[in-house]
Amino acid sequence: MKRSLLGAAAAATLVVACALPSHAAAPAPPAAAPDLGPNVALGHILGGAGTTIVGHFEGAPVVAVELWYRAPSGGFGSKPRSSLARLAAQTAASSKPLVGDALGTVVQSAGGKLQISAYGDSIAISALVPSTAARAVVHAMSVAFFAPVLSEDGFRAAQRELATAAIISGFDPDAAVRDALFAALFASGPQHEAPLGSPKDVGVLSFDDVKAFATRAFRAQNATLVVNGAIDGNVLSDLAKGRPASGEDAAAESPAASSIVASPAPVHHTFEESATGYAWIGPPISDERAATAMDFVADYLFRPDSGIVARELARTDPGASANGQFITLRDPGVFFVSLSGADVTREQNVTLAALRALKTPLGAEAFARARAAFEYHLLSDVQTAGAVADNFGWYSVEGNLAYAPGANGTGGAYFKAAEALTPEFLAQTVQRFLAPEAAATATLSPPSKKPAAEGKST
Amino acid sequence: MTLGRIGVAATLPVLIWALAGAAMPTYPPTAQSRASGVPFVREVDRGASLAGLSVFVAAGLEQQTVATSGIAALVAECLVRTPVEAAGGQREPLRDAIAALGGNVSYAVDDRTAHFYLESRPAELPALAALLAKAFAQPNFSGPILSAARATLTQRSNEGEKNPLRVGVQMFKESYLPAGSAFPDFGTSASLSQLGPQALADFFARTYRRGSISASAVGAATPGLAGALAALTQALPAGSVTAPDRPARVLPANPKRVVVRRDVQGPFVVLGFAAPAPKDADFGAMLVLETLLSSAFERTSATTLNLAEKPVGALYLYETTPASLVVYVNGSSGLDPTGGLREIGLVAKSLASKRIAPDELRKLKAQTIGAFVTGVTTLADRSYLIGLFAADGIPNGSLDRALDAIDGTTAADIERAAKRYLQKYVVAIVLPRDNPTSH
Repeated sequence: MKRSLLGAAAAATLVVACALPSHAAAPAPPAAAPDLGPNVALGHILGGAGTTIVGHFEGAPVVAVELWYRAPSGGFGSKPRSSLARLAAQTAASSKPLVGDALGTVVQSAGGKLQISAYGDSIAISALVPSTAARAVVHAMSVAFFAPVLSEDGFRAAQRELATAAIISGFDPDAAVRDALFAALFASGPQHEAPLGSPKDVGVLSFDDVKAFATRAFRAQNATLVVNGAIDGNVLSDLAKGRPASGEDAAAESPAASSIVASPAPVHHTFEESATGYAWIGPPISDERAATAMDFVADYLFRPDSGIVARELARTDPGASANGQFITLRDPGVFFVSLSGADVTREQNVTLAALRALKTPLGAEAFARARAAFEYHLLSDVQTAGAVADNFGWYSVEGNLAYAPGANGTGGAYFKAAEALTPEFLAQTVQRFLAPEAAATATLSPPSKKPAAEGKST
Repeated sequence: MTLGRIGVAATLPVLIWALAGAAMPTYPPTAQSRASGVPFVREVDRGASLAGLSVFVAAGLEQQTVATSGIAALVAECLVRTPVEAAGGQREPLRDAIAALGGNVSYAVDDRTAHFYLESRPAELPALAALLAKAFAQPNFSGPILSAARATLTQRSNEGEKNPLRVGVQMFKESYLPAGSAFPDFGTSASLSQLGPQALADFFARTYRRGSISASAVGAATPGLAGALAALTQALPAGSVTAPDRPARVLPANPKRVVVRRDVQGPFVVLGFAAPAPKDADFGAMLVLETLLSSAFERTSATTLNLAEKPVGALYLYETTPASLVVYVNGSSGLDPTGGLREIGLVAKSLASKRIAPDELRKLKAQTIGAFVTGVTTLADRSYLIGLFAADGIPNGSLDRALDAIDGTTAADIERAAKRYLQKYVVAIVLPRDNPTSH
C-alpha cells in the first residue's frame, strides 16, 4: 500500500485544529433521554456509564446483538498504529475466556453471523443470531468484551484472519479511495488513519499492543450495547459484569481530537485499476437538517439503480461504478464519492455537473419525487433488525442517538428532518459544503507499463 | 478430520436451547387465501413501516428453448422499463413511476417463475400493483427499451462470468437440469442479441397468463392489497401455462467432469448433487447436510467468512426444479482443490454409512436452524420464500415448516439422505485462463 505518500501531501498544506476535546472531557450536562419510540428501551450497564439499547422488532425470528465502542482505530497513543482496533476486537472474539467458549464459537454454534467493523473513531462487534440464542450471545459478548481475557492463540488466529482481510481489502478501489481521501482531509486524529491497513501493518502489531488497547477500549463503561429483534423476556439477564472501574476508567472515552486540512492537496496513488474520488468536509451530526440534506444529495445522485449519476454512468458505461455517501460523524461529517471504470475523467465530469446542477433549487415536482424516493430508501434501509441496530450503535457513538434513522419509526428526528427539507435549503447546502474547489481529490492509476523492448514495436 | 471437528464440545447457546425445552425460533404466522382465484399467502409484521408484494408469473427459465435462452429475464427487464401512465398523466418507465410514489420494483427469474417484487409503505402498495398491471396490460418490447434491457442483461451476464461460483453452478446446471432451466438466468450476450421484439411478444403472450399467477406479501398490514392483486390479474389474458415435461438428467454413477477457463483468480471446483424439494420428507435432512458440508472444512475464524474467504461451502438450491445441492472448493483460499474434492467425497461416503452421534446431530440442527433464520431476513427474501413454499404445497407457505423439518431430522434421516443424494455428482472445474482477457 502507498500510505507513506499521504503524510507528505498532508503536511504541506494548512492545518486547522478542530475544537474537539483531547481526552477526559468534563462531564456533559445531563441531557433528556432520547425518544427512540415505544418499542425501544434505553438503559445503563450496571448503572454505570455504558449504555444499553434494547428494541423489539417483529419479523424474522432473529436478534442483532451489537457492541459499539468509541475508540480510535489506530489506538490511543500519539503515534497511530493502523488496524490496531480491529485486531484487538478480532483477538477478543477469538480468545477462549476462563469459562465457556470464545464469542466466535458461540455465535457459530448458534448458526449466527459475527462481524467486526472498524471505523475511524469507533469499532462495532455485530452478531445476528436466532432469537432463541440472543441471551446466550449477549452473555458471551459481554464476557469477551467487558473484561477481555486475551489469549496468544486468539491473537495469532486473529492476526491470520486480519491479514487475509487486508489482502482482500487491498483490491477494493472504494476502500483505497476512501482511505486516501480521509488521510488528505484530516491531518491527524482518528479519521486520518485507515481502519484496516496492509497485511504488513497487521503483522507488525504485537500481542502487548493489542492487550493495552483492549484494556482501555473494551470496558463496560465505554460500551454501547444494542440488542434489537424478536426479543422474548429479559435478554440482558445474563449480561456479564465487567471489571470494576475507577478514575478515568469509570467514564466512556471522550471523542479524540482531529485536525482538518483546510486546502488538501490532490493525492495520487498507484493501484490495480483506475479510480478517483472526492471528499468534502460536511456538517456535524448535531446539525440534523444539514446532515439530512447531505444524505438526500447522496441518495439523489448516487443511489445504485436510481441515482442521477449512477444511472447516467450505467447508461453510457455499464462497467462504471459510482459510490457516493455522506458519512455522518460527530464533527465534522464527510461527503465522499468514489468512481471507477474505463473512463474516470468522464465519470468525474458527470459527477461534478450533477453537483453543479444541484446548486439551483430543484423544481417542485422533481423535489417531491426525489423526497418520496429518499424516504422510501430510508425505510428500506432500516427494514431488518440488524440495520436498525447498526444505526443505533453508530449514532450513539457519534453523539446523537435520537437522530438515528429508524429511531421512533417515521416519527423520529431523522424523518422529521427529511420532511422539513426544501429545494432551497438543499441548494444552499450544496453551495455551502460541496464546492468543487473545496474538495479533496484522490486519483488511483495502474502502474505505468514498461516501454516495449527495442526492435519489438509494431 | 472433518467430521471430528464438528464434534466440538457443546456450546452455551445450544445448552440454553435444550434447557429451555427446545424452544424454536418462529416466524410470524402466515395465512393463505385466494384473491379472485389467485393463490395469495401473506404474513404481517406488526410495527413494520414497509410492505412487500411478490407476484409470481409462470414465465420462468423452464419455458425457454435453445433459441430463446435469456428471454425470461429479458421480458421481465423490458416490463420494468415499459412506459406506463403515472400520477399526473405523464407516461414514464414503470420503475420510475413506482419510485415517484415512494416505492421500488425489482424482478428475478427462477426455473418456474418470473417474480416481480413491489415494496413501499402500505398506503402506496396497491397503487404500485396498479402500475404493474398497466405494464402487464401493454408491455413494450420495441426499440430503445429492448436495446437498453439487452444491454443491462448483457452486463449482468458478463459480470457473472467473472464469478467462479456462478460459472461452476451454471456448468453443473447444464449437466443436470433439463433444457430451459439449464440456461443461464440472464442468457448470454450471443443469445440475447438474437432475441427480437416478436420473440419477446410471443413469449409474453404464452406465459403471462392469469391462471398461473400466485402472490405473497410480507410486512406491514396493507388494506386493499387483495383487491389490487385481483385487478392486477385482470390485466393478463385468461388461461394457464403448462410446465414443460422435461425430466432432469440422471447423474452418472461415475462422476462426470466438466472444465472451463475464465478470468478468475484461482481454481474453483463445484460438485453438484441432486436434492429433495421443500415438500419432500428429506428436506430437513438436506438442510442439515448443507450446514454440515459447509462447515466441515471451515478454517478457524472468529468472524463469519464471506465467499471469497471460505475454502469450502455448500448451497442447497431448493428453488430449482429439480432441487440440487452444490458444494464448492475455493482454490483461491489456499486450499488444494484436489484435496478438497477428495475430502468431500470421503465425507459423503462416511455420512451414508455411519450415523451421526446424538450430540453432534443436536448441535448441527441448532446451527442449521440459526443459519436458515439469519439468512432470510429482508421483506423481499421472506416474501419470495413463502411464495415459493406455498407454490410447492407447503401449508400457508410457512417458513416454520423448514424449521420443523430441521428439528425433526434424525440421524437415520441424514444417513438415508446422504445415501440417496450424495453418491452421484457432477464435478465442474473453473480454471483461470492462461492469458486473462481484458474484457
